[in-house]
Amino acid sequence: MVKKKIAKVLAFRYKILAAILILLAGGLVLLPKYQKHEGIKPEELLSNTISPERYMTTDRLAHIIINQDPSFILIDVRDEKSFASYSLPNAINIPLKKLFDEDSEGYLNQNQFDVVLFSNDHFYADQAWILCNRLGYKHMRVLKGGINQWYTTIINPMKPAENMAAAEYELYTTRKAASMFFGVVYPEQVKVEAPKIVKEAPKKVITIEKKKKAEAEGGC
Amino acid sequence: MKELEKTKRISIAATLFILAVIIGLLTYKRPKNVYAINSKDTLEKITSANYFTTLEELKNPEYVLIDIRNQYEFEKGHLENAINIYAAEILSDDNIKVFDELKESNKTAILYGNNPQEVNAPFLILYQLGYDNIKLLTIENSYLQNKLITKNSEIEKSEADITAFINESVKKANATETVKKEVAAPPKKVITIEKKKKAEAEGGC
Repeated sequence: MVKKKIAKVLAFRYKILAAILILLAGGLVLLPKYQKHEGIKPEELLSNTISPERYMTTDRLAHIIINQDPSFILIDVRDEKSFASYSLPNAINIPLKKLFDEDSEGYLNQNQFDVVLFSNDHFYADQAWILCNRLGYKHMRVLKGGINQWYTTIINPMKPAENMAAAEYELYTTRKAASMFFGVVYPEQVKVEAPKIVKEAPKKVITIEKKKKAEAEGGC
Repeated sequence: MKELEKTKRISIAATLFILAVIIGLLTYKRPKNVYAINSKDTLEKITSANYFTTLEELKNPEYVLIDIRNQYEFEKGHLENAINIYAAEILSDDNIKVFDELKESNKTAILYGNNPQEVNAPFLILYQLGYDNIKLLTIENSYLQNKLITKNSEIEKSEADITAFINESVKKANATETVKKEVAAPPKKVITIEKKKKAEAEGGC
């Protein structure tokens, strides 16, 4: 009797084995519960955020806009009101609150364009960047200093003092030219006629200078 | 004989399979730090909750100051009673323990750095890990004769109205157009006077 029963059970041995294996496999599906937290590891996120790689200077951005580089999208993360009062040319408004709306995802999670986030400072833009980075969105940049920096460097660049290096002057002239591109008008721009009149006077002076030179040479 | 071989093979395969599963189970490590909230909730929280503090509110005894700058800057000067936890090491075991203890004892950790932007990243990472007992001190640090000076700073304050500035510049340029022409005459005289002076100096040589 006992033997018969054992034989009966043994007849199902392959099925029992298979059932055990399927159960274990099912267990594997339940296992990675911890990884349910979406996005990259916190450690990785930290090292990404510590690196200043994401920052873009206002000069570089001005260069990009002026050259109409088609590979960049500008995203303004401020609220609608600030966006309406002033924003960078061709910028798209995605207020920080709506960062994860369905409409915004198309702009953020893609591989075709470089996205430049900006706000008044780079505080909110940075927050948007960190949240997007956690989700693994690529090609994101942050405008360093934001609109405020944009104002002080590009729109209203400070004239360098006389004792500053030539490089400062060069930077100032490029920034000034950029600001003209973005709609700022300087008084000198309109004054173009005036210098022409002034030029007549130097002509007379040149002849005097030549005389002086001759005298100086004779003195030596 | 054939039946025996078959069972042998199956049992070997089965034991190997089970062994692989057991090894997998044993070596499966729980990640050290786990996000407690997903990105969407984080976004909702940081856009609605107020997590800023100012210098005036620091007197609260439940507050513990944490300086996220590096050790060098911390030693150069820091706020009273602050602990130094460098931003890049904020997730190390010891430091996480500090935050855990603070959370258990219901104290609020106040993070600060040289400016609010610098604290943003460490703050947001800790926040996503579930430490909701942290706040961000909105200050700016500067040094005057090696003495630390802190002042409150406003976050995301718009410093200038750019549209107004551009319009103003256009208006100014149009206004000065007529005035400038009249003014243009006197400088000519000045230039000739200067040149005369130069001539005298050269003659002296």
